[in-house]
Amino acid sequence: MNDGEQRDHWIRLVLRDVQFWVPVVVLIGGLLVLRWIG
Amino acid sequence: MTAPVAESREPRAESGPDAARIRALQGVGIFCGLTAGAWLGAAEAPTKLVTIGVSPVVVSLAMVIGVFLARWSVPALIQGTSHIGADFRQAPHLVVWAVLAGCLWAVANTLTIFAVRDVGLSIAFPLWNSNSLLGIVWGIVLFGELRGADARRWFGVIGGALLMFAGATALTIASAHTTAPRDAVRGVIAALAAGVLWGTMYIPYRKAYLTGMSPMSFITFFTIGELGMMTAIAVTFSGGVGPLWRELSAAREVLFWLLLGGFVWVIGDLFQQYAVKYAGITRGIPLSNTNQLWGLVWGIFVFGELRGETQSMLGHVIGGSLVMALGAGVIALSSVTRAEHERWQQSAAREGNRYHVDPAYTSAGMAGREAAGMRHRHTWVDWTIVIVATSVLIAFATMARTPQIAVRWEWMAGLGVVMLGMLASGGIALWRTTRFS
Repeated sequence: MNDGEQRDHWIRLVLRDVQFWVPVVVLIGGLLVLRWIG
Repeated sequence: MTAPVAESREPRAESGPDAARIRALQGVGIFCGLTAGAWLGAAEAPTKLVTIGVSPVVVSLAMVIGVFLARWSVPALIQGTSHIGADFRQAPHLVVWAVLAGCLWAVANTLTIFAVRDVGLSIAFPLWNSNSLLGIVWGIVLFGELRGADARRWFGVIGGALLMFAGATALTIASAHTTAPRDAVRGVIAALAAGVLWGTMYIPYRKAYLTGMSPMSFITFFTIGELGMMTAIAVTFSGGVGPLWRELSAAREVLFWLLLGGFVWVIGDLFQQYAVKYAGITRGIPLSNTNQLWGLVWGIFVFGELRGETQSMLGHVIGGSLVMALGAGVIALSSVTRAEHERWQQSAAREGNRYHVDPAYTSAGMAGREAAGMRHRHTWVDWTIVIVATSVLIAFATMARTPQIAVRWEWMAGLGVVMLGMLASGGIALWRTTRFS
């Protein structure tokens, strides 16, 4: 397995991890609050 | 206060922690949480500069630049970049998690600056410290913390969380008396939003430490996310790179203090990371959130906040803070049992399997030991990083002038001595017990 395949592999694992999307959604929400307050 | 006694001077790899080892790691984790509270509390003091006309995003960006310098130079000095590289080769996916956590931190930190501007440090601080409540929820739901714990420990953690909520409510009521309603609502929302962001940031933390990563390694990539996100926010809010540069130039005389605030924050955050690793989110975060009390001490005694306020107002602020601190204390005393620790190990094994991480690396990390092949070796890269970071700080120090803000220097000096004592004790305890792993 070359480096490119290894990198794709763990990136796919991250994207399939439900726990990854929890902080992503919160981050987007935080940016929206910041936009409103600023 | 004394530092926990080390269980072993020579950490061994690839063996599960026994009861004595779990107790030793818990002791270190708890002491790290308390030390984090002292340093994180002090780091908020520079945000007071907002009141003398520096824009919130410039304050936040300058602090993050200081944070970036510290997050690379401190690990380079203590563990070396070769150790950091070896850590990430074991678990490369954690780069993504670290960068994401850094982005969360940057947005939350900017929100706190707005919150301090609108409702003041004494009020905003405990509100964003509600992040520990959310952290406890994530710890239980996602990582199996408290599973296998007895009723007393569940009661301690949940009861402590409710006490903290009651304290935060008292402080929110107090905020309505100090500012115009529009500012109060905006400030309270900013502080609570920061709490949600920081509370969620503990998900990446716990993922990394269950996998076995050293906090020193995690924060180096974490800071790429925070500096990148903070730069994007600052450019957007300032209306472009040119206007931002002019704002930074205009504020050059106070930038050093903000960089220093960022540096102090990193020391606190590093101890918080070790607290999460060795005491878990449910205990480590409430303990580090004693920074609320330190923030109150800095606000009242160093900066003279709340001077001239009514007895009722003072009662709300002090009473609310003490109730929150009591809640944090109750949570902290609900120590992890061996049965619960076994659940942590199961969560760690699941993480390892999901991302194909070497089980020996994960189990060594959980036990506070270094996996085979991990070395503390310094190279020219490390010394270059340390020299560059130091030079940048010195350069900004030469431009600095003392901010025109009333400060009681005797209180500042006294708090500084206490903080340094805790730093030394915590550092020695971590080195003896875990070699900073």
